[in-house]
Amino acid sequence: MPKYTSISTLQADLRAGKITCTELVTYYLNQIAQHKNLNAYVEVFAEEALAQAARTDQMLKENPERVGSLFGVVVSIKDVLAYKDHKVSAASKILEGYTSLFSATAVERIVAEGAIIIGRTNCDQFGMGSTNENSVYGPTRNALDPERVPGGSSGGAAVSVQADTCLVALGTDTGGSVRQPAAFCGIVGMKPSYGRISRHGLLAYASSFDQVGILANSVEDVALTLEVMAGSDAYDSTSSTTAVPKYIKQLSFGRKAKICYFSTAINHPSLSPDIKAQTENLFDRLRKDGHEVQALDFDLLEYIIPAYYVLTTAEASSNLSRYDGIRFGYRSDDATNLMETYKKSRTEGFSTEVKRRIMLGTFVLSAGFYDAYYSKAQKVRRLIREKTLDIFREYDFILMPAAPSVAWKVGEMSDDPVAMYLADIYTVQANMAGIPAINIPLGKGKDDMPVGIQVMAGIFKENELLAFSKLLCGIL
Amino acid sequence: MSIYDKYETIIGLEVHVQLSTKSKAFCSDATTFGASPNSQVSIISLAHPGTLPRTNKTHIHSAAKLGLALGCKISPESRFDRKNYFYADLPKGYQITQDRMPICVGGSLDILLKDGFRNIGIHHIHMEEDAGKSIHDVDPKYSLVDLNRAGVPLLEVVTEPDLRSAEEVDAFMTAMRQMVRYLDISDGNMEEGSMRCDVNISVRLKGTEKLGERCEVKNVNSMKFARRAIDFEVKRQIDLLESGGRVLQQTLNFDPVSGTTSPLRSKENAHDYRYFPEPDLPPVVLDENVIRELKATLPALPKSLYQQFVHEFKLSHDDAVILIEDRDFALYFLGNTQQSKSVKATANLFINKIRPWLSEHKKSIADFPMSDKQIQNFAKLIEAEKVTASIAYSKLFPAMMEGKKELPSEVAEQLGLLKNTDSSELEALVDACLAANPKEVKAYQNGKKKLMGFFMGELMKMSRGTADPKMGGKLLREKLDIRY
Repeated sequence: MPKYTSISTLQADLRAGKITCTELVTYYLNQIAQHKNLNAYVEVFAEEALAQAARTDQMLKENPERVGSLFGVVVSIKDVLAYKDHKVSAASKILEGYTSLFSATAVERIVAEGAIIIGRTNCDQFGMGSTNENSVYGPTRNALDPERVPGGSSGGAAVSVQADTCLVALGTDTGGSVRQPAAFCGIVGMKPSYGRISRHGLLAYASSFDQVGILANSVEDVALTLEVMAGSDAYDSTSSTTAVPKYIKQLSFGRKAKICYFSTAINHPSLSPDIKAQTENLFDRLRKDGHEVQALDFDLLEYIIPAYYVLTTAEASSNLSRYDGIRFGYRSDDATNLMETYKKSRTEGFSTEVKRRIMLGTFVLSAGFYDAYYSKAQKVRRLIREKTLDIFREYDFILMPAAPSVAWKVGEMSDDPVAMYLADIYTVQANMAGIPAINIPLGKGKDDMPVGIQVMAGIFKENELLAFSKLLCGIL
Repeated sequence: MSIYDKYETIIGLEVHVQLSTKSKAFCSDATTFGASPNSQVSIISLAHPGTLPRTNKTHIHSAAKLGLALGCKISPESRFDRKNYFYADLPKGYQITQDRMPICVGGSLDILLKDGFRNIGIHHIHMEEDAGKSIHDVDPKYSLVDLNRAGVPLLEVVTEPDLRSAEEVDAFMTAMRQMVRYLDISDGNMEEGSMRCDVNISVRLKGTEKLGERCEVKNVNSMKFARRAIDFEVKRQIDLLESGGRVLQQTLNFDPVSGTTSPLRSKENAHDYRYFPEPDLPPVVLDENVIRELKATLPALPKSLYQQFVHEFKLSHDDAVILIEDRDFALYFLGNTQQSKSVKATANLFINKIRPWLSEHKKSIADFPMSDKQIQNFAKLIEAEKVTASIAYSKLFPAMMEGKKELPSEVAEQLGLLKNTDSSELEALVDACLAANPKEVKAYQNGKKKLMGFFMGELMKMSRGTADPKMGGKLLREKLDIRY
């Protein structure tokens, strides 16, 4: 069977009867089995996916006009998205045995349009990590080199697309968790504007940063999936009521773009030379094509990571309080009173990295430290946001690498959390400012591993971002 | 002078008002009181992974209404915060409240004391959600948790340290209950926990400015307890200071059984609640139009009614206080005075007959059997002296309570209750009365003028109450002074 890399091609083939949905799902299930070593999935919904495929086939035969816009699209969901009557664990022991009683709005909307959920993918526990090694299920491995990480936290999601086990993957992105693994795995990965997709059913890491994101082979597939999921939701007060455009119909970018990049970013000591060179080549190519590409000074770059980790850990320390061993999930067996139940269940249930972030977040919110850390970080965030939005008054897009290096070796980062945090340097800005950002595969870097270019646009300018991304894919 | 008289008590309150909204503060779960445990809990109340709060418009509007009624500044933009702590009845591990930017700031409430109104400053009012209930005394081995109450909307009214005694606290809580009932935002029922308060108490030597170290007494859920807790705590603090000790800032628990307070936690061990802005909820925005509309929905408030009753209607302080106690009762009374010249008679009817009847029959004014027309006619009969007040109350009122459809004037006629103003008939009765009491007549004429009351009583008895007292008195005097 050919590898499908586009929803429209697949759907045309399904309609033409060149392939059945059942054959497609069977193929993907087979692929999952073949790539078991990559540890991309934590659970596969094989029977259900086949049953849904059979229904889709029948509908195509009997009522082909009634199929939804995502008919036949096989999707994997990250293990932080709730799916009614299915387990969800955030790759943590703390949610052992927990089955969700409802579906995330994002999941519900794609299912309503005919998508087939094939399974849930591995990730860093509660989205906390950049390598997918922080999982109770063990690390996910990069399909291009199983000795390497796929990135994180949506590592399983990225590999599920990379290894051709599904057509689209839903991930989540708090500080780069969709874009960085997309870059490490050589696929497209997008984080929309904050509030564009409902967070209802997304197991919160940092509420004011979290967004559902999409990983796929093409910009078109991202556009169509986004169109289905986006829009306001009564269950999420932070979801935006801004109208959702028909992204898929607005994918041609008909003018010359005004682009900027930060000299501080491109000259950052952590950026590996091969990625720097490829990025600069792209700038030259764009200039040659008549686009304006300007270098800007953005002196706040060094403050992004510290402020980000103060704010996200603060929110996480509170968001994760509900995992207390009382009403659901894991409860320690040898606790004899309430306080012990809390302490033992949480000590045994959370991973070291999660506990590190809970403690850090608890610290920065504590009396006497709040002003020095949390409050100051809020101010930094406001500055970064304002400055970023200012740039978009002048420019259409900001371009920068998605990550400072190609995928690391498994285990390479595990001893140095700060080094790992610092690797988020290019992705965090979009979450700080609430703007949409996307990773587009740029080429191959060191050791023949993929390198990505990141494009950022103004708030709710997903239509322009996607159109320009498609243009980029055309020239790369 | 006792040592206790040297000190002044300073009290500030944190009053929690549970709102009577249909649904919870941040989800659509019902809030019915007394439902079976854990029957009003959805995934949001239970804080299941991935669930988010959403605000309840009635919660916000109730807060603004109370703020408007208390003359607070309504914040055009306020914000929710998280208060973090672990407890079994707090499913999220944090309470959504308002810490830094409350919805209402400033304002005051007039409380009614024996010698008139006193104005108590309000520091602010904020919105928050209730926790569930932990029950420790039902099962010998386990604590039980009922999460029906988790997420029920509350307003917390924080006063300035303006209260000076247990009596004033009592008056404040009474006024607050009256206010929330007038606004129809809560039943204000302390017995059901709809109103609770934490009491901050300190003492200082009279004449000094600086506030003493304060203690916060929790678990005060009835007025009786509040009084006892304050009395105990004031004495404890003064005794401590007088014996050379120092009051430590701490949180105390009031034990209703022993009537004493005991430390719950000291300042050093105070919870660090790690407040921070609730990222799941956008700021609460109330634009001018909404505030104006809410203002327009406010009913007449107790103090303005009181002033109208006393100054315009010339009713006594005591009468006015009784009449404004309940909103519907007060407004019903007001409605019945609109086209009436018999305000005093109407007030008396409401205070002396209607109010006792309602409380005896446990009914609200809406269920009162007389129509407005009947009530106004009734008052007019008394005011115009067609029926004596005593006959009206003792005979006509019970008759009306049987559900008569006719006007009281018609009923009075049917029952022969109209005042007897026929002078020849009355004269005959007066003659008979005097003839029947020759000893008293003699005593009267010998100067015991006080006996006039006795003759009036006798006359009323013989006329079965229908004698016009004014005319009867006149005739009695004439006959006693002149004829005899």
